[in-house]
Amino acid sequence: MKVSTALPTGVAALLFESARSRRRLEGRLAALVESRGYEEAILPILDYVEPYEALLTPASRGELYRFIDRDGEQLALRADFTPMLARLLAPRLHSLRLPLRLFYRGDVVRYEESRPGSRRELYQMGVELLGMEGPEAGEPAEREERREPGEPGAATEDAEREVLALFLEALAGSGGGPRQVVLGLAGCLDSALLTAAGGTSPAALAAAVARRERSVVRRACAVLLPIVETGLPERPEDLGPAAAARLRWLLALREELALRFPAVQLSVDLAEFARYSRHPDLVAEAGARSYYDGLVFRAYAGAAAVPVGGGGRYGSLFRALGADIDAVGFSLNLDGMLEAGEGAIGENVPAGEAMAPSGGRAGKRALL
Amino acid sequence: MIRLALPKGRNLTPALAALRAAGLGLAGVDDSGRSLRMALPEDGVEMLSLKDWDLPLYVEHGVADCGIVGSDVLDEIDGDLLVPARLAAGRCRFALIGRSRELPAAGSQVRLATKYPLTARRLVEGRPWGAEIVRLSGSVELAPALRLAELALDLVQTGRTLADNGLVEIEAVAEVAPCLVVNRASFQRHRGRINAWLDRMEAAGAVA
Repeated sequence: MKVSTALPTGVAALLFESARSRRRLEGRLAALVESRGYEEAILPILDYVEPYEALLTPASRGELYRFIDRDGEQLALRADFTPMLARLLAPRLHSLRLPLRLFYRGDVVRYEESRPGSRRELYQMGVELLGMEGPEAGEPAEREERREPGEPGAATEDAEREVLALFLEALAGSGGGPRQVVLGLAGCLDSALLTAAGGTSPAALAAAVARRERSVVRRACAVLLPIVETGLPERPEDLGPAAAARLRWLLALREELALRFPAVQLSVDLAEFARYSRHPDLVAEAGARSYYDGLVFRAYAGAAAVPVGGGGRYGSLFRALGADIDAVGFSLNLDGMLEAGEGAIGENVPAGEAMAPSGGRAGKRALL
Repeated sequence: MIRLALPKGRNLTPALAALRAAGLGLAGVDDSGRSLRMALPEDGVEMLSLKDWDLPLYVEHGVADCGIVGSDVLDEIDGDLLVPARLAAGRCRFALIGRSRELPAAGSQVRLATKYPLTARRLVEGRPWGAEIVRLSGSVELAPALRLAELALDLVQTGRTLADNGLVEIEAVAEVAPCLVVNRASFQRHRGRINAWLDRMEAAGAVA
C-alpha cells in the first residue's frame, strides 16, 4: 500500500534539527519571560464560538476554523490567544491580585488563502500584562497633571514600556538576521481620517494610508501625506492634542529603547497601523486583530513582509467583556523567527545562481 | 541594493519610463524583457524580469523589494503590498464586452468569461442580472464571439481587437494602471530611496 506523505495546506511537521531548533528557541524565550515575573497559562486549542461573537470583525471571523460538535455546540480552533485569555479572566478579575503577568505558548490555527509560504498553523509564544492601574501603580501626581484628556495614565504607559522592552529583548536575544520593529499608536489618525474629502470614505482613506497610496491621500487629507511618506506628521499637533502628546511620548520611548537594544532597528511609523482605528465607524475595517487601542508594534525579520511578531495595548477588549482594566501584550511566531534567522527566500543568492520563487530553506525545514 | 521586479509584457515600457523618470539610468536594460536578472550597480538596484501574475508574490515574500504590476492583477490577488503610486502611462480599462451594446435584462442569468474571476464576481454583485463566471486564461474575446459566453470582462486599450472580432465595448468598468508595489519590510529599510524615486516620478508627471 502506498502511503501519502502529504499534509494539508499551510501546516508542517518538524523533525530532527527543525524540532530541536524550535524547542531551543521556545526554551530561551520561556526562560526570559519567566525571569521577568510572567507565569505560564496553558489554554485549550478548542473553544466555543459564542463568547467571541460580539468581538469578531469580518476579518477575524473569516480566519476561524469552525464546526458543530456532536452535542450541537458551535466550536472553533484557537485562532488567537489574547481574546481567549481575556474572556476567561474578565469575569474573575475582581478576585485576582492585579497586575497579572502571564505568558502562553502553543498553536493558533487560522484560515489563510493558499499562497507559497503562508501558514495556517502557527506556533506562538506571547505575554500579557493585565490590570496595571492597580495599587502598585503609585504614579507621582505631577506626572498626571500634564496629561491631555484621552491620554492613558502613567501606569498604563509604564506597562506599554515594560511589554515593548520585553518584546525587543526577546527579539534581540533570538539570534538570526536583522530585526526591524515598527511602532505606532492605534486610533491616533482617527480625527484626520474622519475629515476625508473628495468623496473618499474614512475607511477607504485608512486603507490608502496603510498602502501608502500618495495620490489618494493627497487628494483626501493633506495632513496625512507626510505620514504616508515618512511615518510621522509634520508636527505632532496636526493630529490633535491627545494624539500629539502620545506621539511625543512614543518618540521619546523609541529613543530610550533604541539605545538599550541597538541590534533592533526601531522606527515610529503611524501609516503602518492606519487601519487600527478606535472610531466605531472604522474599527470593523481594522482587520483580524482590531482590539488594539494604544501602543501597537510589529516586528519584521529578514526580508519577509509577514511580521514575525507584534502586540500592543488592548484594554478595549476587556471593557467589551465587562472588565474595566487595561492590558498590554505581544506574541511571537517562533517558526517565522527561525526561518528569518536561516535566511529569507531568495536572500543573498548571487546573480547567476538559481533562485526559487518559494520554498527555500523554509521549505527544507518542513520535512513532511 | 534594492531588488526591483519588472513586468514582462504591456507594462514593461511604461515601467521603464517611470523608473527613468525616478532617476535610474537603467543602462543596458531594454524593453525586450529577455534578461531575467540583471545587476545595475550604478543605480544601486538589481532587476528581475517577471510575469505579471507572479510579480506580487515575489514582492510580498521579499525576494524583490518592489516592482511594477498592473492594478488588474493586484485586484485579483489578496496580497499585503504597499501601492504608493499608479503610473500615468500604460493605462487601460476593464470593460464588459459583448456582441451587442445591450446589458443583460434584469433577472436574467448569463455566462461571463474572464481572466479576472474575483473582479468579475465583485462587478456582478452590484447588478440586477446574474452571471456564471467562466474562467479563461487568454483570448477572452473569443468567448462572446463564439458564444461560449454572452459577455466577457477584459482589458481594453484601443478597442481594435474587439472591432476585429465583431465585438463591442458595452461598458467601461474601471481604469487599470501599472502600479509601483513595495514590500512592507523593504519600505522600512529603503524608505529614503523609495521616497526619493517617488518624488522624482511625481515631479516628472510619471505618476498620477
